[in-house]
Amino acid sequence: MMKNKIKNIINNMPLNKVRFWIQLVMFILFAYGGYVFIDFGSSIPIFACPYNRETGATCYFMPLQHQLAMPANVLFGAAAISVFIGLLTFIAWFVVLNKAWCGYACPFGTLQDWITALRKKLGIRYSTYSQPQFDKLSKIKYIFLAIVIMIPLLMGIGVLGGEWSGAFCQICPARIISPMFVGDFSQWKIDFSSVAAMILTTIGVLFAAVFFVGSFIKKRFFCFFCPMSALHYTMSDLSLLKLRKDGDKCTKCGDCYKVCDMQIKDIADDVTSTNILRDDCMFCMKCVAACPEDDALHVDILNMRVFSSTKEGFAKRMGMSHLEKNNDQ
Amino acid sequence: MTNNIKPALETPRQKQNRHKAMEAVKVLNAIKKEFKEPPKAMNYFYDLFEKVYCKQEALHTNKVKIGTMCIQIPSEIIYALDAVPLRLCNGFYTDDEIGSDLMPSKSCPLVKATVGHLASENFSDKPDIIFSPTTCDQKTKAGAIVQNFGYEVIDVDFPRTKESEESREYWRRSVRKFSSDMSKNLNKKLTKKNLKASIQKIGYAQTLYHKLNDFRKNRLVPILGKDMFLITNAFFFDKIDNWIAAVEELIEEVEQRAANQIHAGGKISPRIVYTGSPPIFPNYKIPLIVEQSDAIIVADETCSSNRMFNDRVSVDEWFLNDMIDSIADKYLKGCTCPIFTKNDDRIRRIVDLVRSYGADGVVYQAFAGCQVYEMEQRSVLAAMEKEGIAILYVESDYSPSQQGQLTTRVEAFVESLKNRRRMKK
Ligand code: SF4
Ligand code: SF4
Ligand code: SF4
Ligand code: SF4
Repeated sequence: MMKNKIKNIINNMPLNKVRFWIQLVMFILFAYGGYVFIDFGSSIPIFACPYNRETGATCYFMPLQHQLAMPANVLFGAAAISVFIGLLTFIAWFVVLNKAWCGYACPFGTLQDWITALRKKLGIRYSTYSQPQFDKLSKIKYIFLAIVIMIPLLMGIGVLGGEWSGAFCQICPARIISPMFVGDFSQWKIDFSSVAAMILTTIGVLFAAVFFVGSFIKKRFFCFFCPMSALHYTMSDLSLLKLRKDGDKCTKCGDCYKVCDMQIKDIADDVTSTNILRDDCMFCMKCVAACPEDDALHVDILNMRVFSSTKEGFAKRMGMSHLEKNNDQ
Repeated sequence: MTNNIKPALETPRQKQNRHKAMEAVKVLNAIKKEFKEPPKAMNYFYDLFEKVYCKQEALHTNKVKIGTMCIQIPSEIIYALDAVPLRLCNGFYTDDEIGSDLMPSKSCPLVKATVGHLASENFSDKPDIIFSPTTCDQKTKAGAIVQNFGYEVIDVDFPRTKESEESREYWRRSVRKFSSDMSKNLNKKLTKKNLKASIQKIGYAQTLYHKLNDFRKNRLVPILGKDMFLITNAFFFDKIDNWIAAVEELIEEVEQRAANQIHAGGKISPRIVYTGSPPIFPNYKIPLIVEQSDAIIVADETCSSNRMFNDRVSVDEWFLNDMIDSIADKYLKGCTCPIFTKNDDRIRRIVDLVRSYGADGVVYQAFAGCQVYEMEQRSVLAAMEKEGIAILYVESDYSPSQQGQLTTRVEAFVESLKNRRRMKK
């Protein structure tokens, strides 16, 4: 009885509002945690960028690039344990939330959602990619992931020099933008100390500029290209949190696809996979909230259903459970 | 019954009305009286059908009336522009006979009846303009025939595959064009506000339908399929606010009935999922036979009922164009109409209905001449067999003649389902 009640409350929740508040809290934690000595360590699976001096945690790519750049004998010798522990910690964090790190905790992701909210306020409609564009662009994040991993390794064996250090960070728009959270604009510059640094930081500055424009017209513009998201995907099967689908219950109505910020088509069209988490997904659960069929989409912790699509919840969230006096927005 | 009317004085129009009233009364009487007592709130619907089909009373005198030839014409947009949609799909044998002279003899009775009705120009609410989506061949071509009678008919391009991205785009464009056509025609602007209100109102009506349907999942079913068909059928032409009020009231009563353990069926009445060509008033031939044979229709997969209500529109950002696209997707992607090339979705849907409504079997009805439903019959039967679901396929038309033979077949099917139930016990 009690259990059913709780279930109902969860399934009927106004997801967008709940998510907004979680994201806000997480943002404060990760963007400003440093002020109150919060530190979740350096293996966090999101873009909590340490270039922001008050960050509450450190993006795993920072130590990862650093470690991979070590000479092979060090990497597999003295440093091996700490590298290994770093990776394990990263996986441990990731296992808890899966890609929901992106949908709920990443300050850089949240920032994009806020830019989206601003656009919405201004009454401007968003854009989408066409399917062929989508298919092409969606691969870019793997190229970035390769940069994260390969360049340091090449440094380690001496093919590339020290000026390539933290190459991806040099490109990463979060390096330039995250410090702005605490009023630090110093990363908006091009580093002329070497040709490599100059090229990388130029790309970085351009990327950061494009970030603002892109996020304004396209929902979660950057996440689509984010190498962290790609890395997540390689491990998503390990996670306890699952995004699942019961294809038999799906009518392919496309409601979920319609609200998906990442334009993931499978969420509606694939009626055979149970695990419906795709590489671009950020586990925002908006699709679950927008699905009008009982239990067609659900979020599970292992095999326990924690949030399910329901007819009733859908009606509540879409303003269809009672006759609305039309309110704007 | 009518022998005090002098035939010589009766105009063709009067004669048509008289015949239709006779058809309507007969079915209404059966629905009202030949079953266990229906919910009181059903009286609203019984009266409504009587008013419209026996007395030819008009419901929408002061609004622009938009005739639609299929469910794919988005009523959200029509209501937003303060017009009323009237679904023209027709179930009268009288009109079917008129249409027979205008269409090939082996055509679908529904299309013939629709064409016949339009040819007679005899309406209680006459459509001011007709939108015809290019769904099945017969409906598509019927649009042109109807145009020759002098109606303004606008074709709305509808794709016949629904998997591809191309067809999604194509249909979205069609719906955008439909919106602007409507807007121009009515000289009224579609706005964020009126469209959102209309989406939510229809969404609410759909929510009510779902609520009502939920009771049919119970072991003791408080409302019969014949009444449900009437309720959904009323949505074709009723004033939406009245419809909503009536269904709200009905839900309260049905809730009460459920609490009181009232069962509309018999002790071991088999539970049936009904699929196929749409039963449209007064052609309730097969549903009535099914339920008169002591089975209960607990769910259906037809475009005059479930398919019309099941899928609700979801919108992420309530901007005009976004809403229009959402609407478009709903009418294409969720649709299980057999006009599409592949149709695994329809099969999945039927299986899911059987499971979630605890049905014992499926009755698949196709109109003789409704090619797409006839063609899909094999694949659906094979799929049901694979799933171990009993299914009966029947072909029928609008004529009152074949009643006896149909009854025998349906009864035999129901009896076999009953035996299964008995064995299970
Ligand atoms: S995909 Fe987006 S939300 Fe996830 S880590 Fe990258 S920037 Fe953050
Ligand atoms: S610059 Fe980007 S990749 Fe590097 S630590 Fe910051 S967020 Fe991570
Ligand atoms: S919203 Fe639900 S029913 Fe509709 S396509 Fe998505 S999963 Fe299927
Ligand atoms: S698939 Fe669902 S959870 Fe993933 S990004 Fe899209 S809406 Fe969010």
